[in-house]
Amino acid sequence: MRRFKYENLRFLSLFLAFLIIAVNPFLNYYFHFNFIQGWYQSIGIGKLWFVSPLEGLEAILVSKTLYLPLLIAMLIPVLVALFLGRVFCSWVCPISFLSELIDRIYRIFKGKKRTYDRFTVPKRVLWFSLIGEILVAMVIAAPVFVFLSPPGLVGREIMMMVFFKRFAPEGVVVFVVLALHLFTRRFFCRYLCPLGALLAFLGSKRRLVIERNASSCVNCGLCDKTCPLDLKPSQYGKASVYCWNCGECVDSCSKRALYFRWRS
Amino acid sequence: MKEGRLNLKPSEEEKAESRRSFFKALGISALLLGGLSRKSDASLFKSPVGRNRLRPPGAVSEEIFAGKCIRCGRCAEVCPYRCVYMLDIRWGVWAGTPLIFVDENPCYLCMKCVEVCPTGTLMKIKQTETRMGLAVINKRYCVTWLEQALCRSCYNACPFKDVAIKLERLKPVVVDDKCVGCGLCVHACPMNPKAINVEPIYSFTRVKWK
Repeated sequence: MRRFKYENLRFLSLFLAFLIIAVNPFLNYYFHFNFIQGWYQSIGIGKLWFVSPLEGLEAILVSKTLYLPLLIAMLIPVLVALFLGRVFCSWVCPISFLSELIDRIYRIFKGKKRTYDRFTVPKRVLWFSLIGEILVAMVIAAPVFVFLSPPGLVGREIMMMVFFKRFAPEGVVVFVVLALHLFTRRFFCRYLCPLGALLAFLGSKRRLVIERNASSCVNCGLCDKTCPLDLKPSQYGKASVYCWNCGECVDSCSKRALYFRWRS
Repeated sequence: MKEGRLNLKPSEEEKAESRRSFFKALGISALLLGGLSRKSDASLFKSPVGRNRLRPPGAVSEEIFAGKCIRCGRCAEVCPYRCVYMLDIRWGVWAGTPLIFVDENPCYLCMKCVEVCPTGTLMKIKQTETRMGLAVINKRYCVTWLEQALCRSCYNACPFKDVAIKLERLKPVVVDDKCVGCGLCVHACPMNPKAINVEPIYSFTRVKWK
């Protein structure tokens, strides 16, 4: 029996998540089927609302007003981040889907996985990105991430194309992010995404973690190479705050020394 | 080795030339972006709301609109009349906010956008209490007021006929405190330029801190 791979399950999840925002504008526009509206800034499935935590936080901080339905809509994403960590990034985000798609196409042509990064910067840049973004938003009194967030822009561009038959120029951001991905794997997600930073911050004490069984580990370093965030799973004493639980390292380990664990 | 090859540094003239072409390209791209814009007076921080360009029903003051709206586009997706338009980055910080161009596609007050807004940018409100703006008749353009014809397109289009707009001696008169500013009258007006326009007089009220 072939070994179960998180990779395939995750790609399926990313694909379905992308399918929702790709198909839904057509349903809305041509069939007036309004059961689902929006994309990953805020999505409404029937009466169940989700609001992305960073967008919601920015709206509260910038407008300096509270609105109860907004807080309730942020509740589920925040709880998911608290318990599972940055799983939105690796299992749902459309930018993740497009990046993985590029990686898969690369793998078909080259026959092997991309494991190199052209240039790297210190990982803590991520936190400065979050702080800087919130400060800028509060200074100019307009939330910056809400109209320039790559995950949101993917949905917005599809919707603009279906509804108004044109693309918004800010969609260039998505292509810039994907171009950066060609040089350094997930450059934007690693160092610049404020939403990822907020989710990582929320998930710093998360329950779901990847652990290493030191006795069966042979220090081959495959997991270090395969990690798209350039973390070092082989040296985990405890799980990294930047880890987004994608399970790439779990898949790569031939000795099954890495595994998901629910820490209590 | 040729002598010319050694001189790899660009001369001052060449530098100036490249600088000039760079600025030229910058100017052209700025012009292109500006020219492509839907209305030419789009600007980075100034609110896009103006005559016949209104926010959907129940919208909060423009003072906090840009901060409160998270640009999820659900109002535009749910609008059955496709009148909610989404702005793009050429409108600066207002990118992604909903706007209704009432002369092209007015609001029919179905209130579906209000139902789905997750941030309270569009607050729940009754149809009759909506104040998107105030319709103002320009008596110099209106053929009925000029006594050239007997037109009452605006009166016929109004969803609150005889309440928000009345006929006084067959001439249309807007009742200021009843008009919701939906823009149906603007859409119906056959004149060009329009003889009735919606002015967003309520959109710029200052926010009160409780």
